[in-house]
Amino acid sequence: MVKHYETFVMTEDEYCYQYIGDMVKGFVKDSGIQSGIVTVVTAHTNTGIIVTEPLDCILSDLDVLLHQLVKDDAEYSHAHFLNTYGRTSANAYGHLRSILTGNSCIFPIQQGKMLMGEAQEIVFMEYDGPQNRKVFVDVIGD
Amino acid sequence: MIIDIHTHPGFIQEISGDPKQIAFRRENMFLYKQHIWPLELFLKQMDAAGIDCSVLLPEDMTTRAGNAVVTNDEIAALVSLCPDRLIGFASVDPHRDDALEVLERAFSEQKLMGLKLNPSSQGFMPTDPIMKPIYETCIRYNKPILFHAGMTWIKNSSSKYSRPTVFEDVALDYPEMRICLAHFGWPWVMETAMLTLKYPNVYADTALLYFDSPKQFFRTTFNQQLGEYWIDRMLYDKVMFGSNYPRIEQKRMINAVNELTLRPKQKQMVLGGNAARFIGLEG
Repeated sequence: MVKHYETFVMTEDEYCYQYIGDMVKGFVKDSGIQSGIVTVVTAHTNTGIIVTEPLDCILSDLDVLLHQLVKDDAEYSHAHFLNTYGRTSANAYGHLRSILTGNSCIFPIQQGKMLMGEAQEIVFMEYDGPQNRKVFVDVIGD
Repeated sequence: MIIDIHTHPGFIQEISGDPKQIAFRRENMFLYKQHIWPLELFLKQMDAAGIDCSVLLPEDMTTRAGNAVVTNDEIAALVSLCPDRLIGFASVDPHRDDALEVLERAFSEQKLMGLKLNPSSQGFMPTDPIMKPIYETCIRYNKPILFHAGMTWIKNSSSKYSRPTVFEDVALDYPEMRICLAHFGWPWVMETAMLTLKYPNVYADTALLYFDSPKQFFRTTFNQQLGEYWIDRMLYDKVMFGSNYPRIEQKRMINAVNELTLRPKQKQMVLGGNAARFIGLEG
């Protein structure tokens, strides 16, 4: 059985993050599925889903690392007008940070509960906000 | 106070309940994939960009396309939801039989603060005699006009109606009427510089982005095609920050303005002081 959920995360700033582990656990509980897996996938190409320890220092280090690796103002080919949109894309840095951190995570479910390590948290990463972001949560199993 | 003089609110959820109207807006605004989002998010985006107030622009295309992409009523409704952060302009299709009634109502009842006109998409020359009563109404109510100027993306619309020099006789004939040449009249930015330099009633906005990123395009336009110090030394009281949202995010455009060669006082004027004077928020 697959139970599919879609939810929105309204982000607050250009670069920011939100912990969404409790929200995902709520969907697992709602699904009634006892044994299986849960997948969490962002619907966007300039956001990320990561798993890490929910400590400000780690998220701060990640912030520094991503901004070192991907500059805001480099000479990006993606900075041009898109005729199919009628808009200018100037968010290459958001796409590249998204590629680096990935768009999804997966956890096992046993006895109706999501199994996570003690230090683990699911974090939604915003790289081009504020925006209203869609997240897919699929609970798969019996 | 930081004011964005140039935003298009056609995809804000509170005025986007009709899917047919959204399809009409996407087609006629040349914004084919624009998402709809709530006013709450627009305000968050303004906050993230450090913008205090945004001017909301409608566009009446009744005789050309059969409808307005955003109506004056919709602008007034949005302003009523957040009057401290939103400033509403009116629009009227000059070819409508009831154009003057629409404009009178916009200023007297809907309390809109200025007029947006687009000679290219609305199909008129700014010097056409049909414009005389519209200009006289704006003067009577002391309301400014923000004209689309320069290139237009809109299909079947010619940029010849919006070339900056076609506004010169309007500036000459109506010296008491404040007008803004939006998009700095790109690609004819030198003509816009001439008009803003010469005429006290002519302003321009920074809602221009046709190539590159905002910062790169501003460097090309304002530091190479125009003189790097022209705004700082001469046009600082005539140029207004405008983003053209949602064709580009406000945060990116204000970041580009912040990198222009401007001393702090001049930058303050470009980011809001000039707009406050243009709209009539001062005194």
